[in-house]
Amino acid sequence: MSANGYGVDTQPRGEDEVVVNLLDVDDVTVRFGGIVALDGLSFSIEEGHICGLIGPNGAGKTTMFNVVSRIYQPTLGSVRFRGQELLRTPAHGIARLGIARTFQNLALFPTMSLLDNVMVGAHSQGKVGFPRAIFRVGAAKENRETRDFAGDLLQQLGLGPLAFRPAMGLPFGTLKRLEIARALAAKPTFLLMDEPASGLTHGEVDELGDTIQQIRDQFGLTVLLVEHHMSMVMSISDRVVAMEFGRKIADGTPAEVQQNEAVITAYLGTS
Amino acid sequence: MKSLATIREGGAANWAFRIAATVVVFALVLYVPTKTGAGTIQTAIEALVLMGAAMSLNLLLGYTGQISIGHSAFLGMGAYTTGILVSRYGWSPWYTFPVAFVLSFALGVIVSFPASRIKGVYLALVTLALALVFPQVVTWKKLSWLTGGGSGLPTKDAQVADTGFNIGAASRGQMQYFEIFGWNPLGDLRKPDNKAAFWYWIAVGVVVIIYLVCRGLVKSRVGRSMVAIRDNETAAAVMGVNLVATKAFVFGISAGLCALPGCVTAIKTGGVSPEGIQSLTVRGAITFLIVMVVGGAGSLWGPIIGAAVYVYVTDITGGWASDEAIPGVLRPFFGWAKIPPSDGIFAVLLIVLMFVAPRGLVGVWRQYSPRIVRVLPRPAGTTGAAPVAIAATITNTHSEGEHE
Repeated sequence: MSANGYGVDTQPRGEDEVVVNLLDVDDVTVRFGGIVALDGLSFSIEEGHICGLIGPNGAGKTTMFNVVSRIYQPTLGSVRFRGQELLRTPAHGIARLGIARTFQNLALFPTMSLLDNVMVGAHSQGKVGFPRAIFRVGAAKENRETRDFAGDLLQQLGLGPLAFRPAMGLPFGTLKRLEIARALAAKPTFLLMDEPASGLTHGEVDELGDTIQQIRDQFGLTVLLVEHHMSMVMSISDRVVAMEFGRKIADGTPAEVQQNEAVITAYLGTS
Repeated sequence: MKSLATIREGGAANWAFRIAATVVVFALVLYVPTKTGAGTIQTAIEALVLMGAAMSLNLLLGYTGQISIGHSAFLGMGAYTTGILVSRYGWSPWYTFPVAFVLSFALGVIVSFPASRIKGVYLALVTLALALVFPQVVTWKKLSWLTGGGSGLPTKDAQVADTGFNIGAASRGQMQYFEIFGWNPLGDLRKPDNKAAFWYWIAVGVVVIIYLVCRGLVKSRVGRSMVAIRDNETAAAVMGVNLVATKAFVFGISAGLCALPGCVTAIKTGGVSPEGIQSLTVRGAITFLIVMVVGGAGSLWGPIIGAAVYVYVTDITGGWASDEAIPGVLRPFFGWAKIPPSDGIFAVLLIVLMFVAPRGLVGVWRQYSPRIVRVLPRPAGTTGAAPVAIAATITNTHSEGEHE
C-alpha cells in the first residue's frame, strides 16, 4: 500500500473483480429529542479501504460510530454489513460479525491488566460459558490459548513488557495502543477507530498512521477512521467522507474532498 | 519498589508456598472440630455461613459490580426451603440443598431483569426492598400454612433433633463416625451433643463448593467478562459481552449459592424464623456486605478472611458483657456499655480499615507482599519474550505526561 496521500486506489485488484461494499449506510437519521444528530446520512465503504470520516465538532461523527457499533438505535434508515442488515443485531452481536472499534476517550477496563484487557477483546472468539466455566470443561485450555494470543498481540503493538500492569495510570498514548490491540483481539474484518490521534504528540501521530496502515495490511482490515488530524487522515485514507450538522457534504478521494467548496466553508467559514 | 526475592509463577518456590498455604488451611479446618469444644465449633459454623454468603455476594458485587443489599433474602430462601421440606414433608436435608439452589437461582434471575436496567444507588434500593420484604412475606399470616408465620417453622423435627439429620436410611438415628488409627479427623460425632461437629463439616463442604464455583467462574472467559462489565459496560458490550444474559446468570448463581449457607443455618438452628436467624433480615445483608468489603471485594479469599476476622472480633468483644470480662487496658473505654460493645467496636474498626485499607485485608496483602516476595507471572505469548526488561524504554517512547 503506497501512502501517496492523494487517495489513488493502490489496492492490488483484478480488472474483473467485483467490488463489494463492506458497509452501506443508507439514509440514517438519529434524533435525540428535538436534536437531529444525523440527518439522512448515506455512504458506503469498500472492502480493504481506509475510509476517513471528517467534520467539525458536533458534526455527528461519533454518533455515526455509535450507530454502527449498535450503541445508538437510529430513528430511520438502514446499515448493512456485507449486505446484511446490522440494525437487527444486538450490541453484543457485532463483535462476532467481525466489527471492532476503539473509543475516542478510552473505554478500557482500568482495573484489569493490559493482558486481561486484550483477553476480553477476544471474548467473541471464546466458547466457554457459565456451565463450562463452573465445571471447568475446557476452560483452562481456552485460557492458555487466549492468553498466548493476547500476549502475542501485545508484543506486536510494542506493549509486551507492560502486559501485567493494570491499565489504570499508564500514559495516554500507551492506552490508545492498548485500545487498538484490544480491538484486534476480536479478529475483526472491519475496524472503527474514533479519533485515535487525539491527545497524541506529533511523533506519536506519525507512528500511529504507520501502525494503522500496517495493521490494515497485516490483518486484512477495512478501516473507518474518525479523525480531526487532517494530515494523517488525508495521507492514509483511500476515501474521505466529510460531514457537517449530521449531513454528508462531500465524499471522494482525499484530493477531491480537500478541494471541495463545502468542506472548505465548513472548516474555515465563509469570507 | 524493591523486593527481597523474586520467584516465578509455577516455579518450585511458588509451588512450595502454595502447598504450605494449603497445609495451613487444612490444619485450621481440622483443628476446630477435633481440638475445640462445641461452643467454638458453633462459632466456626457461623463464620462458615458468613463466608459462603459473602463469597456469593462477592461474585455479584465484587466482580460484576452489581450492588445487592438483598442477599439476606436469598439466604432466607435456602433456610426456608430446607426448613419446609424437612419439617413439613419429611425430606432428607441432603436433597434440600439442590432444591434451595434452584429456587434461589430462579428468584435471582427474576430480580436481575429489573436490576439490569438500573444501576448503583437505585439498584441498592431495589435489592434493599427485597431484603425488607422477605421477612414480611415469610411471617405473613396467609402463608403460615407453609412458613409457620411469625412463630417460624416447627422446631426440632425428630430427625433433625436426634441426629443433626439422618444420612441415608441405614444409619438413621446415629451419627456417622470416622476413625484413622484412633484419631477421629472429623471430630467426635457420636456424642449426641456433638452434632455441632457434623454440621461443621456440612458447612465446610458448602463453603468449598461455593469457593470452587467462584474460582471456576472468575478464572475463565466468563469471569473476565464479569469484571469487564464492572469496569465499563459499554466497552464490554462492544467486545461481545451479552450484558443482560451475563448479569442474569451472575445474579442467579450468586443467589443460588447464597441459599446454600442458608440451608446450613436451618439445619443448625433446627427452627426457621426471622427472629431466630438474624441473617435473613436486612441486618444479615449488611453483614455480608461488611464482611466482603473488610476481606477484600473482587478477590477469591477476601470474603473468607473477612468472615473469619468479623466473627473472631465480634465473638471476643461479644463476651465483654461485664467489666471484669474486658481486658484491663480497654476497660475504661468500654466499661460504660450496658450491652456487649461488639457492634460498636467493629464499626470503629471498619472506619479505620476503610482509611488504611480501602481494598480490604487482601488488598493490603497484594500491596505489600511484593516488597518481600514478588511473583513473576508466566510470560504470555508464543514468542516467550522477556517480560520486564524493556518496560522502561516503552514507557519513555509512548508517554508524554500522565494523562488521566
